[in-house]
Amino acid sequence: MSSDLAFALRGVGTTVGGNFALRDVSFELPTGYVMGLIGANGAGKTTTIRCLLGMRAFETGEIELLGHRVPGPVILRQDVGVVLDHTYLVGDWRLADAERALRPFYDRWDGVRYRQLLDEFGLDLRARVKDLSRGMAVKLMIAVALSHQARLLVFDEPTSGLDPATRDELAGIIGDFLLDEGHSVLFSTHITSDLDRIGDYLTLIHEGRIVRTGTKDEILEAYRVVRGGPDTLSEPAGAHLIGLRRTPTGTQALVRTEETGLLGGDVLVEAPTLEEIAVHIAARATRREPHPGTSGSPGRKPHPDTGRHASHPSMSAEETV
Amino acid sequence: MTAIARMAVLNLRTVAPYRNQGLVLFGLIALIFAEKSPVALVPALVLLVIPQIAAYPFLVADKADLETLYAVLPLPRRSVLYGHYAWAMANFLATATAGTALALLIARAQAVPFSGRTLVTMLTLSWAIFAINVAIQLPLLIRFGYTRISILATTMPLALVILTVLQLHLHLTITPIQIWLPLLWVAGVAAIMTSAAVAITADQRRVH
Repeated sequence: MSSDLAFALRGVGTTVGGNFALRDVSFELPTGYVMGLIGANGAGKTTTIRCLLGMRAFETGEIELLGHRVPGPVILRQDVGVVLDHTYLVGDWRLADAERALRPFYDRWDGVRYRQLLDEFGLDLRARVKDLSRGMAVKLMIAVALSHQARLLVFDEPTSGLDPATRDELAGIIGDFLLDEGHSVLFSTHITSDLDRIGDYLTLIHEGRIVRTGTKDEILEAYRVVRGGPDTLSEPAGAHLIGLRRTPTGTQALVRTEETGLLGGDVLVEAPTLEEIAVHIAARATRREPHPGTSGSPGRKPHPDTGRHASHPSMSAEETV
Repeated sequence: MTAIARMAVLNLRTVAPYRNQGLVLFGLIALIFAEKSPVALVPALVLLVIPQIAAYPFLVADKADLETLYAVLPLPRRSVLYGHYAWAMANFLATATAGTALALLIARAQAVPFSGRTLVTMLTLSWAIFAINVAIQLPLLIRFGYTRISILATTMPLALVILTVLQLHLHLTITPIQIWLPLLWVAGVAAIMTSAAVAITADQRRVH
C-alpha cells in the first residue's frame, strides 16, 4: 500500500445483470491533488465511486484508499467525505439536528467548525434540509465533510443543475480545502468547465472503461481538434478520427496529437478544450484498440503546475476509437 | 456508546421530526383500551404501535436515501442491521413501561383488580407479540426496503400475531399459565436472534 496515494484502482471490474458496468478500470490520484472523473451520463462514474468507497462490491482488481485496501476498516470512513448531487439526510431535519445526528459517529467532529462553515456558506442552523436549494444542499454536505475533517472529498456530480456563480463558489471551497497538502479531491462530473479551474488530473471514462487518465495538461496535449469542409476530412491510414461529426457546413473530429501529421493540409488543427475531448470521446464508435504508450508502469514525475513529485497516475489503459 | 447503540439513536433522530404521529397513535389506542380493558392495553400498544414505529426509519430511509448515509458513516454494516433491532427493542421497552404505568393507573381509577400475576402475564404476552412481529418484519424491510414491502411487513406479522395470540389463549385456558411464561420469553429471544441472523443474509441480497 502506497501512503502517497489518495487512492488507486487497479483493474477493477464489476457487472450489473451479467453485463460489465466497469471493465479493467485503473487510475490513481496522488495525495494533495484534484482528480476530475469525466464521462457522459451512464459512463460508469457513480459505479466507480461506489466501488472506491466500498459501497459496492467489485469482482476483479483491487482498490486502495488512503493507504488501505478496499473493503477496508470502517475507521477509514472517518477520513472520507462524500458529496453527491443530493443530500442523504432526513429532509425534516434542521441543520442543527443533522449535526446532532452525525456527530456521534465521527471521532474528530468539530461542532464549532460546522457552525462556522454554515455561517460562511450562508446556511441557517434552523433551516430544514428539504428546504435547501440544490446549491445549498451541496454546501451542507461539504460542511459535514469538512466538519469531520475528511482527508479525501469525493464529489459525485455535485454541480449538475447549479448556476455558474454557485459552481464558481464551490471551486473556491475546494481550493481552500486543498491548502492542506494532505487533502485530496475526486470530482466526478460531466460539466468539464468545472475542472478547467480546479482539476490537476483527469480520467476520462466511457461505457465503463477508462479512455485516458493523466494530468490535465497531458490530456489536453494528447489530443487535437481537427476541422475541415464537408468533404475534406476523411480518415487517413494510421489515424483515427474520434467522434467524427459531419454537418452540411463542415466536419469536426478529435485526433491523437501524434496522428495530426497524417492528416491532409486542408484541415484546421487546434488545441481542444476539455469539453471538446469529452464530447468527441462520448460520441465515438465502439471499435477498441490499445492506446500507444499505455504499457509500462506509471513513473514518478513532477506535477505540471507545482513541480511537486508525485506518483503519476497510470496513463490510458486503452483508447476507444 | 457502541456502534449498535449509535445506530439506534440515529433511528430515534430519524423519526424524531414525526414524533407527533406516533404519540397520536399511542394516545388513540390508549384511549380505546382504557375503556375496554386496562389489562389488554400493553399488548394492544405493542401489536398496533410498535410495528409502525419500528418500520418508520425504513420509510424515511427510502425517502431520504439514508442507505447512502449508512454506507458513508463509519459504521459496520452489521451494526446498522443490529441497530434496527436495538431500536425496535427500545420501542418495546418504552411502550411496555409507559403502557404498564398507564394500565395500572386506569385499573386503580376503575377499581379493576390487577394482580402481579396478571401483570407478568400481560408483559409476557406483549413480549411474544413483539418478538413475532419484529422477527418477521425487520428481515423483510432490510431485504426489500419500506416502499416495496410496507403492506406485507406490517399486516402479515399482525395477522400472525393475532393468530398466535388466539392459539395461545386456547392453550392458556387448559394449561397452567406458569409453564408458558418462561417459555414465551425464551422463544421470543430465540425468534429475534434467528431473525437477526436471517437479516444479515437478506441484507446481502437486498434490493434497493
